[in-house]
Amino acid sequence: MNHLPDVLRVLDDALQLQGRSTAFTANTPLLGALPELDSMAVLAVVSGLEAHFGIAFSDDQLSGASFATVGSLCELVTESLDGTAT
Amino acid sequence: MIQSGQDTLPQAFFLPADPGYRFCLFHTPQGTKPKSRVLYLHPFAEEMHASRRVVAQQCRSLAAEGHAVLQIDLLGCGDSSGDFGDATWATWVHDTLLCLHWLHEHTDQVPTWLWGLRAGALLACDATKAWHAQHPTEQLNLLLWQPVASGQQQLQQFLRLHAAAQWLGRSAMGEPPAQQLAAGQNAHVAGYSLSPTLASELEAARLDLPSGNGRVGIIDLSVSSPPTLSPWLQRQEGKWQSAGWQVEAQTVEAHSFWQNVVESSLPKTLDWATRRALM
Repeated sequence: MNHLPDVLRVLDDALQLQGRSTAFTANTPLLGALPELDSMAVLAVVSGLEAHFGIAFSDDQLSGASFATVGSLCELVTESLDGTAT
Repeated sequence: MIQSGQDTLPQAFFLPADPGYRFCLFHTPQGTKPKSRVLYLHPFAEEMHASRRVVAQQCRSLAAEGHAVLQIDLLGCGDSSGDFGDATWATWVHDTLLCLHWLHEHTDQVPTWLWGLRAGALLACDATKAWHAQHPTEQLNLLLWQPVASGQQQLQQFLRLHAAAQWLGRSAMGEPPAQQLAAGQNAHVAGYSLSPTLASELEAARLDLPSGNGRVGIIDLSVSSPPTLSPWLQRQEGKWQSAGWQVEAQTVEAHSFWQNVVESSLPKTLDWATRRALM
């Protein structure tokens, strides 16, 4: 399932992008590219995704690599949802 | 403590407490008789600062509508005595009771509300248990803005700030915070020193209420459109109703202002839902 629209919605809210995320694609870089992405904002994205998708990431699942691009965040969500389903 | 006039500035004062003093702001209600008296309990660590502006605007809006609102910086927070590393949950519960007594001494006998944001909602629940044990006939009402599901979840989110700083390429500072706490040392996370005592007390905190017959207003903020009440809050609502509370949950479409230090303003929808909850 394509989680991109939902992930972008959470990103926009957590980082207060005011709709800028509509121009984002899976290849849009996040860490190091978005000035809004400080540690509080990273946490806001993590908590936002958990609340939106009703999932709980384990600390082992989370790393800087998950925040490299919009696509890697979507993969993190997919992995977690697949894990919940099985 | 009734005044009239537009946009009265809040009164700032230091309340003697144990240990030290607590910084408080009292928003004087407009009108001849206050509608209610409200004690606001702030969220945990950096969320307190991120939410400051929205909360200040809500306090003024409530005061303008005739509610007496008291804000406290808990021990080790904001402009109060002590460092964050000195804070314990038990002291924060005690600070809350101290403020409730202050409100009872300085305002008319009108319904009393504990209004908590995020971990402030957890603290409101624990303070309600303590207050009702001391004053069984004086019921409290609760207004919970985006309550955290449990202290355990709040602690996990806070400790993750350390990992998040590493993902951003900041140099790793010392051992992971969970290991520092396990070794009986204060953990250092995002500029805050967290004692093992506060960590374990927070971890044990639950969003539970004793039986009571007061009102509980839940305001759940969500980015979904239309906003929907989180399933866990629906369960919580039923649980509190069975315990005798009159529960009313509202959902509001608003962004997560407590997680973002970008300047936020009080969303009109949230102001409306909050004033409605206290009606």
